[in-house]
Amino acid sequence: MHDNVIDQSKDITILELLDRVLNKGVILTGDLVISVADIDLVYVGVKLMLSSVETMEQIKAGRAIIKE
Amino acid sequence: MEMMIYSILSTKGNPKNLVDLLIDIKGISEGVLSFVSFKDITAVVSAIKKNDINADRANAIIYAGIIEILTQRFTLLPVRYGSVMESTSAIIKMLERNYNEIQNNLQKVEDKWEFGLRIFCDSEKLKTELRAKSEADPQSQTIESTDSVYRDWVNRKLKEHRLEESLLTYIESIIAEIKVFLDSLNAVNKFKKMLTATTLLDAVFLLDKDQKDTSVYFIEDLQTKYPALTFVLTGPWPPYNFVEITIK
Amino acid sequence: MNENKILFNSGSLEEFSEEIGKLTNNDESKLKLGPDNADSGLAKLVLTLVELIRKLVEKQAMRRVDGGSLTDEEIERLGETLMNLELKMEELKEHFHLTDRDLNINLGPLGDLM
Repeated sequence: MHDNVIDQSKDITILELLDRVLNKGVILTGDLVISVADIDLVYVGVKLMLSSVETMEQIKAGRAIIKE
Repeated sequence: MEMMIYSILSTKGNPKNLVDLLIDIKGISEGVLSFVSFKDITAVVSAIKKNDINADRANAIIYAGIIEILTQRFTLLPVRYGSVMESTSAIIKMLERNYNEIQNNLQKVEDKWEFGLRIFCDSEKLKTELRAKSEADPQSQTIESTDSVYRDWVNRKLKEHRLEESLLTYIESIIAEIKVFLDSLNAVNKFKKMLTATTLLDAVFLLDKDQKDTSVYFIEDLQTKYPALTFVLTGPWPPYNFVEITIK
Repeated sequence: MNENKILFNSGSLEEFSEEIGKLTNNDESKLKLGPDNADSGLAKLVLTLVELIRKLVEKQAMRRVDGGSLTDEEIERLGETLMNLELKMEELKEHFHLTDRDLNINLGPLGDLM
């Protein structure tokens, strides 16, 4: 019972953490080789599409956008 | 060699600390952390192979963990996960190009932590409470029910509208209280109100590090005052929400 | 990172970690425009926008009715128009098998909130 509470509290912490590290913070653009963040931004730009962490797995190798 | 950038630190007068701090910390994909400096700002980086960027939960958490460690010792700007540059020299050029903006932001967040506050409610319960209050109010105009189906429809919608307005007023008054408190602490804040039927408020604010306890007490007081609402205060966080700058 | 960042929490953690999840990365609002469902994907997009506008217009109308500046006849006509608009939207939603939730319009009072 006690364990359950601790795990769930960790869940909130992790959600808050992931929201920050994936969606906030300084954004680097421009002459980048890859940016997972850029791909994230494409989704955010459309507004109705918000990438989830699990979806980002698809972005790995092969689907990454390479910028000049 | 491609480098992933974790954060940008202010290293005014602090160069020795860097090496001591990072000796044992591994980066993403077992890369080793290192620094790239330009004047008194430093990017914390690690080498990464293009195809190695694992955009998954575990890596994002490791990444955030590194920023947490750094933030204990330095004023820094957290960088969004997944930012990669092609070489050390590209990074130096970037730091140089954006030196002023980076410095301004570092100053803004010096000695401050970010805190998050969410207020949840049971929207239906709250509406019932407010509905009861408004029906007891002698001043509320009632539009008589008529033979017109259109008029009746308007009456129904009007009632809903008034209920929503009173809900809004209720939320506004709570937010005003919070704002007064934050102003008294000279905090920078960002509010998002009434996002869903359950979330009344989603706010982040930037406070001096030693004001953490004061905030906790304040929220405890608010909770006593509004027992039907649920408050969740989190922190202290690195200033993710207050450095929303785009660096070229 | 093992630190617990929760300074104060008076609620049921389970209930709110779900809500926070919704507010941050939200799978449900993802709009998939693939070849299979391009039609309904597009319909969803269009209807979401139409519904948003309809609700804003309705809200504005109610403010005016509440303000007392409209004549009985004006209120009657307003009611007729808006009610029919609402019925039409219901028809469209049914036709495309979309619920309010699908259109993601359950955001509380609209207007100058965000």
